Amino acid sequence: MAAGPAPPPGRPRAQMPHLRKMERVVVSMQDPDQGVKMRSQRLLVTVIPHAVTGSDVVQWLTQKFCISEEEARHLGAALVQHGYIYPLRDPRSLVLRPDETPYRFQTPYFWTSTLWPAAELDYAIYLAKKNIRKQGTLVDYEKECYDRLHTKINHAWDLVLMQAREQLRAAKQRRKGDRLVIACQEQTYWLVNRPPPGAPSVLEQGPGRGSCAASRVHMTKSADFYKQEIEYCRRALGRTRVKSSVCLEAHLSFCGQRGPHDPLVSGCLPSNPWISDDDAYWVMNAPTVVAPTKLRVERWGFSFRELLEDPVGRAHFMDFLGKEFSGENLSFWEACEELRYGAQAQVPTLVDAVYQQFLAPGAARWVNIDSRTMERTLEGLRQPHRYVLDDAQLHIYMLMKKDSYPRFLKSDMYKGLLAEAGIPLETKKRVFPFSRRPRHSSPSPALLPTPVEPTAAGGPGGGDGVA
Amino acid sequence: MAREECKALLDGLNKTTACYHHLVLTVGGSADSQNLRQELQKTRQKAQELAVSTCARLTAVLRDRGLAADERAEFERLWVAFSGCLDLLEADMRRALELGAAFPLHAPRRPLVRTGVAGASSGVAARALSTRSLRLEAEGDFDVADLRELEREVLQVGEMIDNMEMKVNVPRWTVQARQAAGAELLSTVSAGPSSVVSVEERGGGCDPRKALAAIIFGAVLLAAVALAVCVAKLS
Repeated sequence: MAAGPAPPPGRPRAQMPHLRKMERVVVSMQDPDQGVKMRSQRLLVTVIPHAVTGSDVVQWLTQKFCISEEEARHLGAALVQHGYIYPLRDPRSLVLRPDETPYRFQTPYFWTSTLWPAAELDYAIYLAKKNIRKQGTLVDYEKECYDRLHTKINHAWDLVLMQAREQLRAAKQRRKGDRLVIACQEQTYWLVNRPPPGAPSVLEQGPGRGSCAASRVHMTKSADFYKQEIEYCRRALGRTRVKSSVCLEAHLSFCGQRGPHDPLVSGCLPSNPWISDDDAYWVMNAPTVVAPTKLRVERWGFSFRELLEDPVGRAHFMDFLGKEFSGENLSFWEACEELRYGAQAQVPTLVDAVYQQFLAPGAARWVNIDSRTMERTLEGLRQPHRYVLDDAQLHIYMLMKKDSYPRFLKSDMYKGLLAEAGIPLETKKRVFPFSRRPRHSSPSPALLPTPVEPTAAGGPGGGDGVA
Repeated sequence: MAREECKALLDGLNKTTACYHHLVLTVGGSADSQNLRQELQKTRQKAQELAVSTCARLTAVLRDRGLAADERAEFERLWVAFSGCLDLLEADMRRALELGAAFPLHAPRRPLVRTGVAGASSGVAARALSTRSLRLEAEGDFDVADLRELEREVLQVGEMIDNMEMKVNVPRWTVQARQAAGAELLSTVSAGPSSVVSVEERGGGCDPRKALAAIIFGAVLLAAVALAVCVAKLS
């Protein structure tokens, strides 16, 4: 198989972990002493060994893994769906029936694998073989696939037909029972890898799930391989982990704090512009506005980062620092940000300017950095680059955060801003005599829709101001 | 004629690849044995020999600048089929390597999967090697050395494919298949229960042998009925 294009470079194909686990389960079922009980399937003249019943499978799983029967049934159903066990009576429906229905194991070549994905050429050969065997009576979707493949890999069609004929002739050299079994195996493989329309595909990987750790078949396990494994395990052990209880508590408190501020969760005043076509909301919450809303001013109290990221907040904080005679801290921080995100060509001049203004002894706006950071920064200034002032910037940031920010929040200035900031009014709605709209102008989409009068829905009240 | 020769070689390679695929299907299953591994080895060695000779012939022909356009198209078709066949062979060989390593026979790490396939595959191998019958007896630790050889051969085949692509440049989109969709139905080898001898006529192009057999069968049946009536009348 896998006579297809090479995998994208830099990301080798890997067998997905759940498939590897299923393979291990299937292999442990084969144990002659502790495996599943095997029976024989008796057709008209031929007897084919190695059949298992659904109930045997479920019972074995229950005993081996000490799980409940429901779980064993679910696990068995997963095995059948992924094609490791296939039903003998009704081959097209891959379900596990926990009764006397017979099943058989799939050969390892046809095991579901993301390491060896099924190729178009192989599917074309299979369909051609089926076409020959059944004299043209393919199922609808198979006919469509056949036609599509004929256009898609037209250049290889001669090879497809040649191989199909030869594979059928090769199969004739086996005795009848084996031929039947191999045909069933192939059919199951293609049912899993190219499911009929409407059936769920077990090989669907969600977005971003393709990056499992690659594990190739290692023929020689050398010392280097083991050294790599040890290093990998050591790094994995050293990773910081947070308990989910802690994470979830933090998440809950975050949601509780931010809930009233989120326009989707709690609705937005004056009105949702997407619904009412009135962009007052955006105008009022523009980055630079004279009178910020109350919610916005409250957000400045959540964290220092919120305050600095909001231009209005930053301006007010600068005023406050000016009153406290420590405005150079914020100016230094802003200059460092400009350096980090500015143009590459300006870096040397900017570094020089910052040094002259803030760091040189006796500078006009000298910032108070501790001696060790200052030494390191001065060392780095010999070869200036974008991130040379990072240490100093961080020090000043933490200084402001621990010192000036709490004082700002307790100051009269901030309290005055809070009092001044107003809550915008809801837009006035046109009063329709027949409508009974909810009070809030833009109901949250998270809430269930309230019932609306049919007359109002039919009337011309689509318009603005109403939701 | 170069074309016939290439076609014959390609058919041989195609047959061997199909047989190899059929044999690799059973690796790891209940029909796996040291004999199977030896048959696999012989089949793939034959396939490689055929591949090398086909490659040499086709490369020589296609690198010849003075080839007519329609002849070149014909050879390009053969080339595309050949490279596809070689890709299939390489993929099956890689698969055989992986499965052989996962299910070693000499010191079995895990039991073989009981798939229900129990018969011998010597017929398939004989077909691949174009002999009438094959009788192999492999030693108990054949598969260990075989895997190492297989690894080397996989790399060799990979190299051959790379060299092929370097030497001759045939864009796949310029090649158009001769056969339309469903062409295999027109000239199928009659397979399965469709060749039951029946008394009724089956259209103009009937097999004369089948008609003769039908007539003889009818005559024998009539004679039997007549005898039975005589016996009934006599008794």
